[in-house]
Amino acid sequence: MKNSKENRSTNKKKNEIGLTRRRFLKLSGVTGAFIWTTHRPIGQLDSPLASPLQKKAQYEEKWVVTSCLNCQGRCGIRVKVVNQKAINVTGNPHSQVSEGKICPRAHIGLQVLYDPERIISPLKRTSSEKGKQIDPQWKPISWDQALEEVSRNLRNLREGLRPHHLLLFSGLNSRSSEDLISRFAEAYGTPNLVTGEGLDWEAERTGNWMADGHFDICAYDLDQTNYILSFGADLLESTPPVSRWLRKWGKFRREKSIRTKVVEIQPRYSLTASKSDEWIPINPGTDGALAMGIAHIIIREELFDHRFINEWTFGFKQYREMVLQNYKPEVVSKMTGIPAETIYRIAREFAQTRPALAIPGKGALAWPGGSSVGYAIRCLNALVGSIDVLGGILYQEQPEYRAIPKVPSDEITKKGLKQSPLDFRGTDRFPASRVVTNQIPQSLIERKPYPIEMAIGFNSNFNMTAPNSRSWEEALKRIPFYVHVAPFISEMAQFADLLLPSTTYLEEWGYDHSSSGAGFAEVRIKQPVIKPIGGSKSIGDIIFLLAERIPGVVAEAFNGIGNCAEEFVRLRTSSFLPWEEFLKKGVWKGPPYQYKKYSTLFHTPSKKFEFVSGNLRALLNKKGRAVREGTEILPHYSRVRWLGDESQFPLILFPYQPLLTFENGSQNYPWAQEIFLPMQGVGWTSPAEVNPETARSLNLREHDRIWIESPFGKIQTYVKISEGVPPNMVCIPFGQGHTSYGKWQKGIGCNPNEVIGVDFDLLSGQSAFFNTRVKIYKA
Amino acid sequence: MEMNYSTIEGTSKGYKILIVFLGVMVGVFITSFLVAYLKGQQVWGVSNIIPWGQLITFYIYFIGLSAGAIIISSLSYVFRRETYEAIGRLAVFMGILLMIGAMVFVMVDLGRPEKAWRLFMYFYLNNMSSLFAINSIFYTGYITLMLIYLWLIFEGKKRLAAIIGTIDVLWAIAVHMGTGAIFGLIGNREIFFSPIKPFEFLMAALTSGTSLIILISMVTFKLTRRMIQEELIFSLGRFLTTIIVVLLITVFVDKLTHLYFPNREATLYLFTGDYWWVFWIFQIGMGIGFPLFLLTYPKTKKSSRGVLLAALSVVIGVFGERAALVIPGTAHPQPFFPGTIEGPWGEPGIFPITFWESLLSLSIVSFIVLLFVLGLRYLEILPERKTEDTRALLNLTAKE
Amino acid sequence: MVIDLDKCTGCQACTIACKVENNIPHGSPEEQRLRREIYWHKTIAVSRGKFPHIRTEILPMPCMQCEHPPCVTVCPAKATYRREDGIIMQSYRRCIGCKYCMVACPYGARSFNYKAQETKPYHRQDEPPNQKSWGPWPFPTRTQGVVEKCTFCFHRIDQGIKEGKKIGIEVVPACVEACPSQARTFGDLDDPQSQISRLLASRSSFRLREELATHPKVIYLSR
Repeated sequence: MKNSKENRSTNKKKNEIGLTRRRFLKLSGVTGAFIWTTHRPIGQLDSPLASPLQKKAQYEEKWVVTSCLNCQGRCGIRVKVVNQKAINVTGNPHSQVSEGKICPRAHIGLQVLYDPERIISPLKRTSSEKGKQIDPQWKPISWDQALEEVSRNLRNLREGLRPHHLLLFSGLNSRSSEDLISRFAEAYGTPNLVTGEGLDWEAERTGNWMADGHFDICAYDLDQTNYILSFGADLLESTPPVSRWLRKWGKFRREKSIRTKVVEIQPRYSLTASKSDEWIPINPGTDGALAMGIAHIIIREELFDHRFINEWTFGFKQYREMVLQNYKPEVVSKMTGIPAETIYRIAREFAQTRPALAIPGKGALAWPGGSSVGYAIRCLNALVGSIDVLGGILYQEQPEYRAIPKVPSDEITKKGLKQSPLDFRGTDRFPASRVVTNQIPQSLIERKPYPIEMAIGFNSNFNMTAPNSRSWEEALKRIPFYVHVAPFISEMAQFADLLLPSTTYLEEWGYDHSSSGAGFAEVRIKQPVIKPIGGSKSIGDIIFLLAERIPGVVAEAFNGIGNCAEEFVRLRTSSFLPWEEFLKKGVWKGPPYQYKKYSTLFHTPSKKFEFVSGNLRALLNKKGRAVREGTEILPHYSRVRWLGDESQFPLILFPYQPLLTFENGSQNYPWAQEIFLPMQGVGWTSPAEVNPETARSLNLREHDRIWIESPFGKIQTYVKISEGVPPNMVCIPFGQGHTSYGKWQKGIGCNPNEVIGVDFDLLSGQSAFFNTRVKIYKA
Repeated sequence: MEMNYSTIEGTSKGYKILIVFLGVMVGVFITSFLVAYLKGQQVWGVSNIIPWGQLITFYIYFIGLSAGAIIISSLSYVFRRETYEAIGRLAVFMGILLMIGAMVFVMVDLGRPEKAWRLFMYFYLNNMSSLFAINSIFYTGYITLMLIYLWLIFEGKKRLAAIIGTIDVLWAIAVHMGTGAIFGLIGNREIFFSPIKPFEFLMAALTSGTSLIILISMVTFKLTRRMIQEELIFSLGRFLTTIIVVLLITVFVDKLTHLYFPNREATLYLFTGDYWWVFWIFQIGMGIGFPLFLLTYPKTKKSSRGVLLAALSVVIGVFGERAALVIPGTAHPQPFFPGTIEGPWGEPGIFPITFWESLLSLSIVSFIVLLFVLGLRYLEILPERKTEDTRALLNLTAKE
Repeated sequence: MVIDLDKCTGCQACTIACKVENNIPHGSPEEQRLRREIYWHKTIAVSRGKFPHIRTEILPMPCMQCEHPPCVTVCPAKATYRREDGIIMQSYRRCIGCKYCMVACPYGARSFNYKAQETKPYHRQDEPPNQKSWGPWPFPTRTQGVVEKCTFCFHRIDQGIKEGKKIGIEVVPACVEACPSQARTFGDLDDPQSQISRLLASRSSFRLREELATHPKVIYLSR
């Protein structure tokens, strides 16, 4: 409000706005002219037409083929690198396991690579105490110092004739790294190489081995199958290889003439259940009973594949008798909580829709007695003739890498390898097991069968991913010298004495083939997309560097197979493709799958598919154990044994693994965190899902903080009321609850493994995850 | 009778303290604006669910007040009612300042205020189907008209002022109905969407404008020791009563329609959700119910204190009405697909009252008050203080 | 775009690929709580029923690129406009940040940029333009105070047209390319021979919030 107090002319009154008519007109004229003249030029500059795409002066773009390692899928990927920075990830169309498609985690690999909190130099612990919350006070040291310290300890242990006191942990590593680690273990003379397989799929392997002698997880011909009966398998979230399931789901749903029907049998309404045609809620732990009940109906109504049963199976008569006697649908219905009509209908559909697949999942297998469940489900496939046929169970072809010289051995090695393994694998405790990961804490704490003096962990994080984290923490404290090799400080690294920074999978040389699933063999290359960040070295290179510092058979074992990871990879993959071609294509695919190889397929005493496991009988006999005829070597269901008394711990803890959980030990990736749980529409969290009735009876409301307590510990999170959870269960996702590092993961959510108790399927050593009982109450 | 107008002296201690305080608040305004400009709107309470917060609420509130004030001024200049002569200039002046305030609010709320000029590229760079663009034509015309109006009043050109005043009143109606249409024409927000919204806004403008005039004139006259005719207050009070009843009918019809299908959920959320109190206590209670009671109950309607209280209640209540529109209107989760949407997308939004946003709003209000006080000081807005007034006031005070 | 809900596996690769392709900043727990995360593409889950008869549908939602877009109608500065091929563009240069379009969008497809993003992680040298160039791009430095949304990766389409590639077959938006189950198809709705038209003819489909008559161009094939 500009005004003027001046007296202008005598015509105007005092204290007026000094705005004469003339002035006003002048002002408006000028303003108008200004707007008029500037309107157009501004408008033209403002044109919505984008100017042509401009790129910076120095622009270098390339696509590098490699493979992912955020889970066991190890999918082939192509990474776009611009000016030395990786910025985009797509699938490799040459890879046929998933038809060139990748799951969301492959894209997030960029955040794995550029995680700002990666370790860039070897670190040495300076604090004397070890613990979950204790700051190790890391001090950076040089690679030479670090390697010298590690190799010195290794040499001393070996010279002290105690090579078996070395414990090696192997988490998620490329196959080339795995081969190098096991070669090292073998040359060094320690039988104690522990992978995470004992947590994941051992029950499936043992179950399959009992049926047909193949100690491997199932592979399926998803292109042609018409019916999928899934027992507790989260097909779209955590059944490896996940990318294959995601692609084939689209294919068998709507890209073939007959739409595959999917029936999901699960206690909780998972994402897979929501996408399936039918969700059948089942009492947890009773999948074995259901499988036997379905077998009963198929056998009784003569719906099985007579020809296959007659020609290629053994023990059917005994199996048939046992099933018909013990697993009547009405009995099974009571055990499983599924109405008998449903069981009849599903069994008939399964048997009469050919080809059909029965798929065991972790929800059915990770129980005491899980291997028998795996066996029972394998038998269902045999009943309907789905063994090695189009649309049925396949037997994974393994790629034949170029042979390398046998591992040399000396007296120390031989003696070491003969020692009883730390996890009691293959012993009376776990007769049919190859690795019993979760036995390690007890062995370490009790120092049985012998104490461990040194351990090296490669990308392992078992105190997060194995049941009963506290026992792992206790155990890790007792390792006098622990070396951890990983790109970041995981929960297991918290207990290390020395940290060696390894590269992520995008910066290393390697070869990989995905876990079984597709049937045909396929090998993928891993090559660095950018130079390793900071001072990190790949695991392969680290092993070569360590080996050369341990004179004797260890150094010898690593002579003649190349001097570093790159040369090793080149040597081993020379049986597939010329190197240059392999670098460009990234994928070698084996010959097409051959079906119905029945004459050579079954590795059993009878050379047929066995309903009465001759393999198991032979194994038990060898161990000097009598076989209780009747059930032990046939598929059967054993009642669930719970950890925790029902009166005190009324609810069952049922954890699950969402798709966006990374299996490399870290979850420090915001892209994954912010959309972590699609079914609940939330991120950055791990809620405890509770049925509305249960919540009401416990006086709990949405977002209330609660304690979830088991006989083994307690964790805290908040309540999410969910209609998809049965009244007697509480469901919590895996993947959160990190405590060691990470702006985007530390202190977020909770880790159900902290309250799950230690239990095993005694045959296979598979850790049980679902038989812990809990109680919940307001925090 | 020819009324003479004068400025206020501006010599009292109260005046000086007030000016200093308001000056400091202007500094606060600039600071809080810069904080938001540089750090981004994360310092406010707005989010992707509730994108419009305190500033937009104030913006529509002030436009309403301005339109209401201009319409009251027409009682003096268009309808030539002598009773209202005393507050005529005051009303027009308030209209201009409130409009400027509204403009400041909306400019500051923009994500990129430096591009605010884009709102004024009529027809060339503006999308004229957007009510913001149409409104910007209305607003510039409105301010220009008000400035001319005030200037004509100062010049004493009564007849021209009447003509411009008439146009201005109609324009004010268009302005505020346009502001209402910003909300009323948005089809996906059920609380907004209503053909009656522009009219509801107009009625709210009239009630709040009238009440603000009552409030400000009584307070200003009292503080500057001028007498205000009780008849003026009661006359405005009666007008206010009528308008509140019309507003009540409008709001009732609007909400009743929304309670019939389709799309009841949002209105039910307004009535019973997180922000029920803004609707029931402020909009209905303080904006309509309580003042209506005061203005019809015999004891209070006859006292200027009663009318003052009613006016105060309306002023606060109508602010609540604006807030009850803006916040729950966008807080209600949109039904993308039938069923319960899981996670945050299915939950109503939350609008926290944040420090910087509140500070910014209050400081802009202080800025307008500062302009108002300066205007009173340097322009002849208020009627001359007559010696009878002073004596009458002194008598009154002596009596008390 | 056609999204086949029967093939969709709810994996959210589309959401992540969009973030990678368009250099969209990730959020934080704080931002998710305050609802300030930027999503050009989101995936929602909608549930009905009670245990055990419950049904949850997972719906991927990009910008619907409506035929009658409410956002274009209400943008005062012509910052969002419909271009010839039907894509609703967003010009960050013209956007004044009034957020009217966010209020008007029935699908919650738009996000406002509430804070200046740290430049370094989001500096992308493969994507144009630099600061001086005019056009509808927000990076290398993301502008705060403007509204963003999915653009059907128009940059890929424009580049593809220039290189003479077939749109919908060789050139598709990032979300369509990333979908592992190939549940998403992109193409020309006007062309009766395109795969999209054939898909729509083969099954029952629906759009979201059809009662609002925005005529979205993202069509869902029912399960």
